[in-house]
Amino acid sequence: MDNIEAFIEKFIAAVDFQEQVAITPETKLEDLPEWDSLAALGVIVMFDMEYGKTITGEHLKKAATVQDLYQLLA
Amino acid sequence: MATSTLNNVHFAGMATCVPKHVVHNVHDVPPHLRSERERLVRNIGIETRRVCPDWQCFSDLAYDAADKLLNDLQWSREEIGALIVVTQSPDYLVPATAIIMQDRLGLAHTTIAFDVNLGCSAYPFALQILGSMIASGAIKKGLVLLGDRSSYKHKDPLKDPLFSDAGTATALEYQEGAAPMYFDLNSDGSGYKAIIVPVGGHRNPFQLEHGIARKGEDGFWRSDLDLILDGPAVISFSTQRVPPTVENLLRYADIAKDEVDYFIFHQANRMINETIRKKLGLPEDKVPSTLRDFGNTSGASLPVTVTARLREALAQGKKRLLLCGFGVGLSWGGAIVDVEGAVFPELIIS
Repeated sequence: MDNIEAFIEKFIAAVDFQEQVAITPETKLEDLPEWDSLAALGVIVMFDMEYGKTITGEHLKKAATVQDLYQLLA
Repeated sequence: MATSTLNNVHFAGMATCVPKHVVHNVHDVPPHLRSERERLVRNIGIETRRVCPDWQCFSDLAYDAADKLLNDLQWSREEIGALIVVTQSPDYLVPATAIIMQDRLGLAHTTIAFDVNLGCSAYPFALQILGSMIASGAIKKGLVLLGDRSSYKHKDPLKDPLFSDAGTATALEYQEGAAPMYFDLNSDGSGYKAIIVPVGGHRNPFQLEHGIARKGEDGFWRSDLDLILDGPAVISFSTQRVPPTVENLLRYADIAKDEVDYFIFHQANRMINETIRKKLGLPEDKVPSTLRDFGNTSGASLPVTVTARLREALAQGKKRLLLCGFGVGLSWGGAIVDVEGAVFPELIIS
């Protein structure tokens, strides 16, 4: 499994931010301007293709921080 | 197992018609939304869409496609044994559009005509339904008119950057010894809420308040008559269910991936289509795409892609196509069809 730094890199690519943002494990998802329905789709595909892990929209709704997303890999 | 084989059915031709009006997903939005829209377009891969004006129905596009196809095939209108319309954009709730089209196309009263309510998954299902009638000997020649006017679901066509309109016609005929067609067709109604227009049928009949639009967070107005699409549910469904179905169909037909010339998938959006392509390990040149120019034309996206991208290749000789649709229902399936000596008119713009 990736460490959280590698996961964050993949997360940034999946969300496709318009402008560069600093992201830490504690970053709150709702504070990110691009955390929208498109980002959700990107993250679902990223989990599937990069980690072979199926996650749902419900998983994403329950996640508050980037760390919470990372823990879905466990 | 939803697999099946049809023998003695020849794929005789296909025609596709799109409306004249082009909407640009990026250029046509207000400046304050443009940056956000650029990011969206980059990810869904849809730059322009074709949208019907108020007066133009799906059946008008399909009529032009069918009329051109019958003329190019030089088939007499009396020969058509069945006319099947596959759409979720009928002219009226009652009666079926296919019966209206029997008269409009000048087909005989002996034509079997009916509608089938399928959307993005429709194309392989339609080939199976008409092909079965032909293989059984009930009829010799038949037409499928397939497509949707999906853009109508949002009065303002800019609100919805995905959907585009198209009408298509496909002709099948009885031919002794024609190459077999193989199918794998599936349904899962537990996911019916993933893509739904919740109001207007008998479960939730239309009331005046349903027509009142409310302004959403994105600044666009929507009412209960608009299509609801659960993005995460649709992407999970598409990327989990489609690749194994394609593998299963190939296994059933005993055909290897490199024995298929082109894989034509429903054009949903770039994220979905690229994920499916990568999971199946298919090279880009065997998976034609029309998302950039024609968007998501519902079930018509397979004929749109064949007409717009493969017409020249198909004119050069026998080609084996794997056609795969998936979406609203939830419903998904694939067909393997060998195309040889078929008629493909140029894209019709009406």
